[in-house]
Amino acid sequence: MSRAAPGPEDRHAHSPGAEGGAACADTVVDAARPAGRVLAALAGFREPVVWILLAIAFFTAISGKPVDGVLMLVVAVGLAWDAGRRALRHADAAGTAGAQAWPGRLRGGRRRIIVVGALLAGAAVYAGVVGSFSRYSWPVTACIIGLGTVVVLIGWHGPVRDRPAGGRLPVAGTLAWVAVLVAGCLWELGALLQQPSLTTDSYSHPTISTLTDPVLATSPGRAVVLLGWLALGWYLVER
Amino acid sequence: MISHEVTIAGYLVALAGIVLLQVLATRTRVPIPSLGDLLTRAMRSRTGRVGVLVAWAWIGLHFFAR
Repeated sequence: MSRAAPGPEDRHAHSPGAEGGAACADTVVDAARPAGRVLAALAGFREPVVWILLAIAFFTAISGKPVDGVLMLVVAVGLAWDAGRRALRHADAAGTAGAQAWPGRLRGGRRRIIVVGALLAGAAVYAGVVGSFSRYSWPVTACIIGLGTVVVLIGWHGPVRDRPAGGRLPVAGTLAWVAVLVAGCLWELGALLQQPSLTTDSYSHPTISTLTDPVLATSPGRAVVLLGWLALGWYLVER
Repeated sequence: MISHEVTIAGYLVALAGIVLLQVLATRTRVPIPSLGDLLTRAMRSRTGRVGVLVAWAWIGLHFFAR
């Protein structure tokens, strides 16, 4: 068993145990054997994220949003395939990969200020234009899918800048976060399942979507929410 | 009417929990990671990073797209 040097997709500095054994699909297998290749190709399905995305795809599709469901399905399968492919590559050429600098990595304070200014202006224009479209229309769908695809592809290639690996997270504190976030999701799911149907809103058991409908019914409201969504995306890309 | 308020109260409790944990993480010495640390850790692997970004994209799709 050996591990390859971190490739461009793993630009975070590594520390012992940083990936966590179960969380890493880069398991090295004996790729010379057909069975080993099959196992490697299926390695991605050991990733919890893949199953979470598949669950989202399923529930989204049966909730009357087939486009969202198909997109989630495509990403989940792509992610699983990619993890399997990397496992095969690690097995075939362990130790040959080298870390590379991402060409687009930004250096220099002045250039960064210009880029940040341009991104802020672009975000304002995007939010204003897309917010002016009706919800669930094809123009807004195309804009959201387009930007979402770009951001996911950026993330797929790796973080935009090096970050320290950091230490292990405190277990109890991490579990506290998991408990709160899972409880919130289950509460939302409970409200969803108590609706008359998955596609019919309920006043008695409103989902978050139902509660935000009044805000998103107006063009300024949509623009403000889109700005928040863009800011969150920017924050995540910088992680 | 009661169900409506109870449902909203549940969301507010979850939101308060998030705010409380974030405050404890950033303003005290209690061993709780901040949400940023949690996200950074989750996004250290490619699958984690893509998963989080897809979740972000899904939010946009869910609230705006067909």
